[in-house]
This record gives sequence, structure tokens and C-alpha cells, in this order.
Amino acid sequence: MTTVNRAWGHLSLRGKVIIPLLFLVLIVGPIVTILFANVVGPWLADLLGANPQIVRFVVAIGGVLLFSIPAAFIIIYMELKVIAFMNLRIGPDRVGPKGAFHSLVAGLKVLTKEDFTPTGADHIVFTWAPVLVFLTAVMTFLVIPFGPGLVGQDLNIGLLYLFAVGGMSVVGLLLAGWASFNKYSLLGGLRAAAQVVSYEIPLTLSVVGLILLAGTLSLNRIAEAQAGWFTDWYVFRQPLGALIFFIAATAEANRTPFDMAEADSEIVAGFATEYSGMRFGFLFFAEYVNVFIISALLVTLFFGAWNAPVDINSILALVGLSPIAVTLDPASLGVGPLFLMLVVPVVLTVIFAVPFYLARSTRPAWQALVLGFLLFILVAVGLLFLLAYIGWPWMAGLVWFMGKSFLFVYVFVWMRGTFPRVRIDQLMGFAWKWLLPAALLNLFVTAAAIIIVKS
Amino acid sequence: MTASGTPHQHPSLDDPRIMLDDQIGQFEAVPPYPPRTEREAEFYSLRDGEMFVNMGPQHPSTHGVLRVVLKLNGEQVVDLDPVLGYLHRGVEKLCENSDYHHIISQIDPLEYVSSLFMEWAPVMAFEKLLDVEVPRRAEYIRVLTGELLRVSSHVLYQGWMALDLGGLAPILYSFIERDEIVEMLAAVTGQRMLFNYFRIGGVNGDLNHEFMSRLGDWMSRAAKQHEANIGLLNENEIFVRRMRDIGRLDGATALRMGTSGPNLRASGVPFDVRRAHPYSVYPELEFDIPTRGGNGGGDSLDRYLLRLDEVSQSIRIIDQCLHNMPDGPIMARLPRLLRPRPGRAWAAVEAPRGLFGTYVISDGTDQPFRMKIHDPSFVNLQLVGLLMKNNLLADTMAVMASLDPVMGGIDK
Amino acid sequence: MSFIPGIGLVRGMSLTLRRFFQPKATIRWPEEKADVAPKFRGRLQLLYDEYGTLKCETCFQCAQACPIECIDMGGIDTKGRFHVHWGPPETYGERREESALRRSGRPVADPMYEHYESVDLVALDGILEAHDFDPKDMLAILEETQAAYGYLPVAALKHISRITGAWYATIYGTATYYRHLRLEPPAADTAAPAGEAQRGIEAGYRSALDAALGHVSGCPS
Repeated sequence: MTTVNRAWGHLSLRGKVIIPLLFLVLIVGPIVTILFANVVGPWLADLLGANPQIVRFVVAIGGVLLFSIPAAFIIIYMELKVIAFMNLRIGPDRVGPKGAFHSLVAGLKVLTKEDFTPTGADHIVFTWAPVLVFLTAVMTFLVIPFGPGLVGQDLNIGLLYLFAVGGMSVVGLLLAGWASFNKYSLLGGLRAAAQVVSYEIPLTLSVVGLILLAGTLSLNRIAEAQAGWFTDWYVFRQPLGALIFFIAATAEANRTPFDMAEADSEIVAGFATEYSGMRFGFLFFAEYVNVFIISALLVTLFFGAWNAPVDINSILALVGLSPIAVTLDPASLGVGPLFLMLVVPVVLTVIFAVPFYLARSTRPAWQALVLGFLLFILVAVGLLFLLAYIGWPWMAGLVWFMGKSFLFVYVFVWMRGTFPRVRIDQLMGFAWKWLLPAALLNLFVTAAAIIIVKS
Repeated sequence: MTASGTPHQHPSLDDPRIMLDDQIGQFEAVPPYPPRTEREAEFYSLRDGEMFVNMGPQHPSTHGVLRVVLKLNGEQVVDLDPVLGYLHRGVEKLCENSDYHHIISQIDPLEYVSSLFMEWAPVMAFEKLLDVEVPRRAEYIRVLTGELLRVSSHVLYQGWMALDLGGLAPILYSFIERDEIVEMLAAVTGQRMLFNYFRIGGVNGDLNHEFMSRLGDWMSRAAKQHEANIGLLNENEIFVRRMRDIGRLDGATALRMGTSGPNLRASGVPFDVRRAHPYSVYPELEFDIPTRGGNGGGDSLDRYLLRLDEVSQSIRIIDQCLHNMPDGPIMARLPRLLRPRPGRAWAAVEAPRGLFGTYVISDGTDQPFRMKIHDPSFVNLQLVGLLMKNNLLADTMAVMASLDPVMGGIDK
Repeated sequence: MSFIPGIGLVRGMSLTLRRFFQPKATIRWPEEKADVAPKFRGRLQLLYDEYGTLKCETCFQCAQACPIECIDMGGIDTKGRFHVHWGPPETYGERREESALRRSGRPVADPMYEHYESVDLVALDGILEAHDFDPKDMLAILEETQAAYGYLPVAALKHISRITGAWYATIYGTATYYRHLRLEPPAADTAAPAGEAQRGIEAGYRSALDAALGHVSGCPS
């Protein structure tokens, strides 16, 4: 035990945080800043300015990856809480307010677990199978339109790309099951492969009718085609297609009632039995990212993507008002707003604090002020949000898209909490004997209707 | 033949954390010694395309520590061999070394879900040996608490069954209802699970205000709750399709295998110990024996629905008990140290899983010479091998769950 | 069933949606505690009867049964009855060198610890000093103690408990959990470990079986 070790051991937790922080801020910080400003910064600016397309691509990929993990966290938390509420119990509620940090901590836990490969398993395949599954799930994010203009890459074969890439996950599942050197995993992997493969066909066929109607494979243009009122959404023109897509997508994502692959009362964890640590984390997150993808797809294809159900501008035109347009131009406002920015927060904090102070006689004044400040923040953010919603169309689109997607995620979680599992042969029978003919029927009827209407 | 020692002994005694290369793949389902019986020889020989899968003692849904060795041909189960003994606690031997009063607490953990019935049979056998007359009030209390426990056990069965098929919600609803009943019993017995309530010659404590108020609350809601329970899963297509025509058991086979209880009644045989060999005050009570699966035998769905029928009969019995409860002492006076006359006694009760009986041989001392326990789940579990031939893997769980085994009783 | 396929599924989903909004049945322990019936027998406390008299008769049965001597009798109340102490004696006002159970002459749960010899604790003090008396290093401390003494003497464990403040029961638990820690001195005579003869027989049997069946040894069948 060296002196430094013992000194470190005698520090309290606060000390252990403050001393490295001081070191970073006072010594490392200035050095790095100077380096960046003089040497690295200009070089980087030149490099990025020369290749804008690549920059956009990298930013898109970065955004996609950075979005997928928090989305998975939110969906995991939602699943735990929603299923718990449906089971008349409270889900996680210790870690963070109402258990909000539970999935974050679960992610950290998964990172710190022991990382081992079972003896006899093929080490390379064992490691790379979850990566493949996660990769195919995340790659589909690239073509999903989150809002008008907010799409990773507006491929004109977007839907085809999505189904192709999403279908590669079955390879990952099979590899995971095989490489685990475990009969349970093998069984699980084969089940998963059979299931995913047999539900691919109704999935793709159910949207062909929609493609005929829309005339394009690009998800962005399909979203644009549903602008206006909610009656323009494709779900009203292709109800059977939507239903088939919904069922087939549940099976694709291995969700209850089609979660044979990870049926945890029969074959422990299916193809993921031997996985632990971050490898399991990959598989786990991939499933939840898949859930988000299929609900985002459902929303994009059938429920209007980023369009609001009502068209405010047409309502206003009916009444006689001009459409609302807000141009945000802070620079033109002058010195006045600066003054306001100093005075208004303080004044509003005090004003909002007064009711809190008066309502409970034992509340100290500083507490009332803090609460007033929080309320002011809430109101200010709300107003800014409203401004952004009206002023920037992509903001409004993003809000609607996210809202609708998470609504459908809720529906998927709701189904998980309600239904028992379907047996594997019943599952496959359902796909081949019912969904496939129904999808073909949908396709023929749509094609016939198009020909009749055109002529 | 002792050369290979115990099966699955860890070969490396130096450092148990290291597994050598030639030990990979040796922890198979097949035991390392040659087969000892014909059945073992038939089971452990593989044909083309078959494989062993070991549903090990640690498994999320084998109802306790049960090991099932399955011979699979793809997804189809060709044969099945349950391996018991993981929960063996030597209860019968413990009973041989305990006083007669002590045995009641030893024998509770046999079917921990419905432990009052486990106490009932030995206590009846001891009363036969000692020629003790149990006061009528005590008998009525026994029936009341027993039927309450039967309701709670069947409600829990519902949730269990759904859990094994994949539905996560019904088991929690079952536990909420079971909690209510178990709290009620805790008010009168002092414990929520292993009650230790019956005594030789009566019961431990009288019904108190807490119990009666909770029971009154529960009874006022019982009928409606039962309706809701019936409607919970009966109409769910997925559930019904998983259970219909799975594990069809006809009455003759059931009788041949020695089944009893709801599994037997769901195969069309109306046998109930409460009516066939009446005990306690059951002759004075009015209730029916529901039966299902008259033609062709009963499948898993019949077994599930029959238990729901039994719940409504139990509610009827509880109602009658409450109305006809006599006054009087709750326990016959007995000495602390009991030395019954040398002899044998058999007593059987209708536990929620079937016929639970004890056969006691006493030799005049204060500890029984031998106490043989006949547990219903032990016999019912043998049906799994019979019912599972040529069904799919997922159906194994459905069938095993529908037979409602409790490992405590199976392994004693 | 029903005429519309899928109506049962929708009914099930509506039921769970209804339950989503109902009050939850969870009791958030330790902030809320469930009401327990007065007759409940599972409480970890000494009970008083309806006259206010302590029901405990200090029969020493619980102290005799506890395998780690966690329960002891101590202190006398005004009626001349002992009180039952659970847990380390430091948490109670009094402390003696030997517990009331041992002084009473009754049999102790673990006969190995009935009479234990004292050992020379100088080496142990050195080990504890090196680990800064930190009970969180218990496994390392125990391993070094075993290296120093050849096994883990009870007197050493008790000394560790007194110095580091960890409960003796915890140290006992750690020591018995790991297979490489010994609580008894190693056998004086070096007999072959139990497995050796067994392995010879097993190897002979296996090679005979392989020869009879014509397999190459070493492959799983």
C-alpha cells in the first residue's frame, strides 16, 4: 500500500470527485483549449468545409446511433412500468424519481458484468452475432423520416432498403443460437429464424398495396403524401394492409404473443441463454430498437408520419384568418430584449413563488423561491416550445412523429402484458395459412381498384 | 458396480474452477453408468435425429426443482423422463424422530401451497390411533379453513397456468386474491403460509374478530370475483388454442395410473374423497362434484375449467359452514406426551391436488414407528410422460402446468 | 367462443387497460408496512402477553440452536428474567469475555468451537495492519491468515472480528463460503486425497468400456 493509495483511500466520496475535477479544470482544461484553438481547430474546420456530404452523413449516423440508445432506454423503462401498472404493481421506483434512471443503471450494470465465452463455443461468432443483430436494427434508422427534412438519407428505395437490412437480423439470431454450444440456444435460434423468415413475406406483401397507391418506395415521399387531415392517412385506404403489417411486424420483432425465440418459461432465454454482459446488452437493446423501428414504420406508412391529424391552416382559412407564421429573428429586436432577459426571470420567479409561499405556512421563503424558479423554467420552456412548434415546421413534425411512435410502442408493450405465447406451429400456420393469403388478397383488391378508378 | 461413483461428480478435485478440455460435453443428460432398467435402456438410446434436452432443476417454470430429460426430435418430444429428488428433505424420516405433536410442523412443507390439508390427514390418523373425538366446532373450523385454502390454491393455479404459457398478468392478479385469503388465515392461525394450525384433537386457536370481518368482506365479493376470474382467460383465443386437445387423458388410463383429484375428475371419473370416504363433517354439507371430459377424456382446458368449477363449490361449502357453525370447545383435551396404542391407521383427505393420505404405524412410544405419506402430486406427475408423447416442446409446459404439481409433495 | 375472431383478445386488452388505471396493490416497504394480524407469529421481537409480562422464559433453546452463536442471553429485568440479545454483543450495553450460553454449560451449536485454543496473534496483527484494518478486504485477510497458520483458527477469527469491527457471523460466513479456506488444521499424515483411488478405478473402467465398444477414448459418446 503506497502512500498515495492510502491517501486516496482516506478521501471521502466528495473529495474523490472534487480533486480530479480540479485537476481537469485547472490544468488539463486550459492546455487542451489552447491546443484546440490554435492547432486542431482550423485544420478540422478546413477538412469539414471541404466535404459537406460526408459531414452530413457522419452527423446523420452519429445522430442515429446517439438516438437509438436513449430510445431503447426509454422503451425499456416504459415496458417495465406499463406492464407493472397493468399487473397492479408499481414497477421500478427506487432509482431516480419514479424509477426513471432504472434502465440507465441497467445499462451500466450490463457493461460491468463478467465477459466470458462458454467453453466450446466459437469465440469469434459468439462475439459478433449480437453485433450483427444490433447493427441491422440500427441501420434501419437511416431512412426513417422523423420530420420534414429530418431524414438520415432520403433513399428512393427506402422501404426496400429497410426490409432488406431488417431481414438480415435473422442471420444474427441464427449465429447467436449456433455459436452458444447449447441445445437451448440452438432451439431458440432455429425457432427465431423460422419465425422471422416466415413473417417476412406477409410483411413485405402487405405494404405492396400501399406502394401501388403511393407510387414510390421512398419513405419521405410516402410521409409527404399523407399531408393534410387524418383521413388522408393510408390506414383508411389500406385497413387490411395495416392490420397485416401490425401482426407481421410484431412477429418480426419477436414480441409477445410471438416471442417464442426468447420464451422464458420454456427455454430459459432462447438463443440468448449463454450471453451475459455487454453482448447480452446488445441483443437486449436490439430488441427494443426493433420495437421502436416497427412502430415508427407503422406510423410512417399508415398513420401519417409527421403530419398532425388536423390541418390548422385549413381550419383558419375556413374561419377567415391567415395561416400562422412566425419568423424568429432575434437580431432585429435590439437592446430592449436584453434588458427584459435580465428582469423578467427574476420578476416572474417572485410572482410564481408567492402562491407556494402562501399555500403552506411552514414553507421557508427560499424553498418557495426555488419552486417559483422551477415553475418559471417550466413556463418559459413551454412558451419557447410553442414558438418553435409554430415557427419551425420540422419541430412540429418531430413532435407528432415521436408522439405517435411512442403511442404505438405503448400498444406493443400493452400486448406483451396481456397475451400468452403462441406455439411455434400455430405461429407458422397462422403466417402461411392466414396472413399470406390475406396479404395477397389485399394486393389484388388494391391493384384492381386502381385500375378501375383510373379507367 | 461402483466404479463410476455418483453421476456428475466433478472430475477435477484440485481446482473446481477449471474445466479441462476433455470434460466439455460430458455434462450431458445421459448418466455415465450403463442403463440399469429396461425403461432406462429404452429412454437413453438415441435414434437418428433425436437429441436430449435437459430441462434442468433450475428452470423458470418447472414448478420447483424438477429435472425433466426430454428426448426431442426437432421440436417434437419423443419421450420424457422426470428426475426427482432435488427437493427431498427426508420428511418421512423426520417424522419418525419427532413427537406426534411435532409432526404437524414437519409435514406442512409438503404441499406448501395448501398446507392445511397436509396437516389434516396425519392429524386424522393420530386421532384414530388415540380414539380422540374432535369437537364439532373444531371440525367445522377445519372444513372452513380448508375450503378457503382450496379456493386460494385453485386461484393460484389459474395464474400459474397462464404464466407457463407466457401471459405475465394473470399470475399477479391471482397473487392479489391469494394474498387476501392468506391474510385472512394469518389472522386466525398466525402464519401466512405454513400454518401449523391443526392440532391432534382440534385446532389451535378460535376464530377471532379479525378473521370474521375479513371473511365477511371476502364472501361479499367472492361470487363476483369468481365470475371475473372465469372471464379472464376463457375467451382468450391464444390461451384456449394452446390448451385445447393437449394432453388428453381418459378415465381408464387415469385410474390405472392412480391419479386423483381434479385431474381425475376432469377425465370423467366422479371420484372425490369427500364423498367416497367421507370424513370430518362433509356428510352434513351439501355440495356437488363437478366433472368434465365425459366422452373421450379431458384435455388441459377441461382440467383448467374444472378447477374453476370447484372454486364455486368451495364457496358454497364455506357459506354453509358459516351458517351452521356450532359453539363449543375447539380442541379435545390431550396430554402433552402422547403414547398411542400400538397399531396402524390410514387417513386420507381431498387436497386441492388429489388424495393426500398418511399411513401411520405406531409402536406404543411417543414417536411413530413409520409414517408413510401418499402424495397426490407424486402420482399425478407420472402422467406427464404418458401425455407428452409426440407433442411439441411448448406443450410440455402446458401439460405439466395443467396437472398442477407441487414439488414439495413430490420429493417429500 | 365468439363470432368475431379476435374479440377475446380485445377483451383481454381492455381488461389490462382498465387495470392500468386502478390503484396498485404494492406496499412500498419500508415507507409503508402491511397491517399484520395480532396473532401473527413471524415477528422478530419478544412478545408480551395480555398482562404485560414478557413471554420469553430464557430457556436457551434459541441460543443453543443458533449455529453462529448470534443469540445470547444477557441482562436481567426487574423480575429476575434474562433478556435475549441478538447480533453482536457490542450493540448491547454489556459485554463479557464468554457468552452466557457457554457459561451455562449447555451444548453449543457447533461443537468444533466449544473449546478453542488461543494462538499467537502477532502474525495476525501484522496482517491486519497491512490491510489497514479494513473489513472490506476480508477475503484477502483470511487468505493470508491461512497462509500464516495453515488453517483459520477460531481464536484468530474472533480477534479479526474484535479488531476490524465486522461481525463474527459475517467472517464465519466468508470463511465457510470459499473452498480453499480451511477451518480445521490439515491432516497430520499425508494420506492420498479421496479422489485418487476413485480416479484410478474410473479410468480403468472407462478404458475397458471403450475397448469393449471400440470407441476412441476421450471423445464424448
